[in-house]
Amino acid sequence: MSAKLKNRAETEEDQQAAPSYRDQLTKDDLLEMYRRMWLARLFDETLYDLKKKGRLRRGNVYGSRGQEAILVGTTYPLRAHDFVSPIHRDMPAFHFKGMPLEQVMAQVWGKATAPTRGKDSWSHMGDISLGLIHSTSMLGSTVPVACGAAWALKLDGKGDSVVLTYNGEGATATGAFHEGANFAGVHKLPLILVIENNQYAYSTPLELNVPTGRVADRAIGYGMPGIVVDGNDVLAVYDETYHAFERARRGDGPTLIECVTYRVQGHADHDETRARQYRPVEEIEEWEAKDPLPRFRNYLLGTGNFSEAELPEPPPEVVRQIHDAVEIAINSPDPEPATAMEDIYDESAGVSR
Amino acid sequence: MREMTYLEAIRTALWEEMERDSNVFVLGEDIARLGGAFGVTAGFRDRFGDDRVVDTPIAETAIVGAAVGAAALGKRPVAEMQFIDFISCGFDQVVNVAATFRYRSGGQVSMPIVVRGPSGGYVGGSLYHSQQFEAWFYHVPGLKIALPATAEDAYGLMKAAVRDNNPVLFYEHKFLYRRIKGNIPSPETDFIVPLGEASIPRKGDDLTIVTYGAMVHFALDAAKALEQENISVEVIDLRTIKPLDMKTVLESVRKTNRVMVLHEAPKTGGVGGDIAARIAEEAFMDLDAPIARVAARDSFVPFAEPLEKYVLPSVDEIIETARRLHKF
Repeated sequence: MSAKLKNRAETEEDQQAAPSYRDQLTKDDLLEMYRRMWLARLFDETLYDLKKKGRLRRGNVYGSRGQEAILVGTTYPLRAHDFVSPIHRDMPAFHFKGMPLEQVMAQVWGKATAPTRGKDSWSHMGDISLGLIHSTSMLGSTVPVACGAAWALKLDGKGDSVVLTYNGEGATATGAFHEGANFAGVHKLPLILVIENNQYAYSTPLELNVPTGRVADRAIGYGMPGIVVDGNDVLAVYDETYHAFERARRGDGPTLIECVTYRVQGHADHDETRARQYRPVEEIEEWEAKDPLPRFRNYLLGTGNFSEAELPEPPPEVVRQIHDAVEIAINSPDPEPATAMEDIYDESAGVSR
Repeated sequence: MREMTYLEAIRTALWEEMERDSNVFVLGEDIARLGGAFGVTAGFRDRFGDDRVVDTPIAETAIVGAAVGAAALGKRPVAEMQFIDFISCGFDQVVNVAATFRYRSGGQVSMPIVVRGPSGGYVGGSLYHSQQFEAWFYHVPGLKIALPATAEDAYGLMKAAVRDNNPVLFYEHKFLYRRIKGNIPSPETDFIVPLGEASIPRKGDDLTIVTYGAMVHFALDAAKALEQENISVEVIDLRTIKPLDMKTVLESVRKTNRVMVLHEAPKTGGVGGDIAARIAEEAFMDLDAPIARVAARDSFVPFAEPLEKYVLPSVDEIIETARRLHKF
């Protein structure tokens, strides 16, 4: 038991224990993952650019640059009947779980066609029919909600469905995270806690949120495996997530996966200047060199199964996809003012008598 | 008809709703193995099993949060706060997660959860087992708040709360749990008390007392005493403060022209202030006297009997205030 609860990255033996699910991926799978990483990158770059040009009207852009391997590696194993709750650096994950890209963009622009109908901003959206659970600004607070979703699946006998939540390393300091993770551990819920450890919560460094410097260390107290994985290696993230899925589906309960990465941007677009002041620039540059996109591309080329031409930078169809989604969103209708008072209550009769 | 206590009425309503609808389940601290600190869910585990009667860790954020997540996927959870005071530990889940869920889902998601628990003073429970802080939540859009005063209403409102598609905070009064009884209609009648409809447990002509929860009984006792002085008091039991049945309140005020708003919670920032303001806005010209408020003093609920009595409203205080209003 104790060996199982060790941080997998700690010993070579444990590292080898992680099955290589990547071997089952076809060439088409790998190309799709490559395409998705570029979609995430361009989503981020496009919105940063449009914000700079004043075309976003309002709202901040919370970047996911450098975290694409986590977004793709954790969502690729998801099936239609699984649930996921993305947070502020996971906007592309909404699309990977089935939300049309123009709808994600409509949310950014606060349009009537957005899932929230313009009521909430950025990542505070979801679509239960697609398995997307809504999160809030109170980071960590979605973990208990995810537990409840897992409980509902249990009551419905849908033991094959798994719930995956994202949190930053900073959110693991909250009481809500602790209560949720503890609840999941006690009741062995089919939950995967993906921790995007990008070293900074706004300006606060990892060690001021996590005393051991290892988020995965928290897992042992929750009775679940705490896995540490290179968050810039998409296939390593995929393997660990898949492994956690298998565990959850077997009824063995939750897993915490700490994906170690780095926030190369500011906290949001407004923070770009200060983010190069409250931390060493050399540190940022060191991590920029570990960019997960060229890394994955080089890996694919190294396998000998892909030509340069098969791996364009960026894939032109992804450029088009992002461009079209932005155009559709910008040209979508704004919400009618009075709809601000709709959906506060469900006015329907509820359960019939 | 079945005679039962206020507590038994709540237990019976929950039991019948769980029998009726397999989506209904209960979760909270000590509710399965123990059957709840007050025994509201006694016997539930044997009947409905561990999946629908869930003993949780001591973690109100997790309890309310899990209820929210289950509701988002179509369940109708009833979360117990062992004492309603402890809802403060789950505050974020109530106000930021549950209350907002439908709004930020653009109307896609319903949030049929009930958060229930014993509230109120007069039992020597001291600071953390006596509070009646419904005003915290009165301010929050998206929530409903029920505070039954009678066994019949506790039964009927609980059924309505479980069937409602919105988050309902259900303030049971522990002083009433075993002190009062009522005649509960048989399950076949499918009796419910709709949320948002006040009742008038006593008709009168000279002044109106608008109240809810255990204070209804205090108001009725005062009204009885005032009868000897030929002061005819109408008592309105709001039953739910959110939605608030102002129609019934205003009709009564327009008839009696004098009104007292009474609640057990502290006066400052209390629900009574808002109700008084609404009356002033809508019926100022109908008033023959300033609106009076009777509420707890702006203190905590202390332990020792003389202290608790000093802080919480009393029948005598209601009578005094009514006399003053009547004379004005």
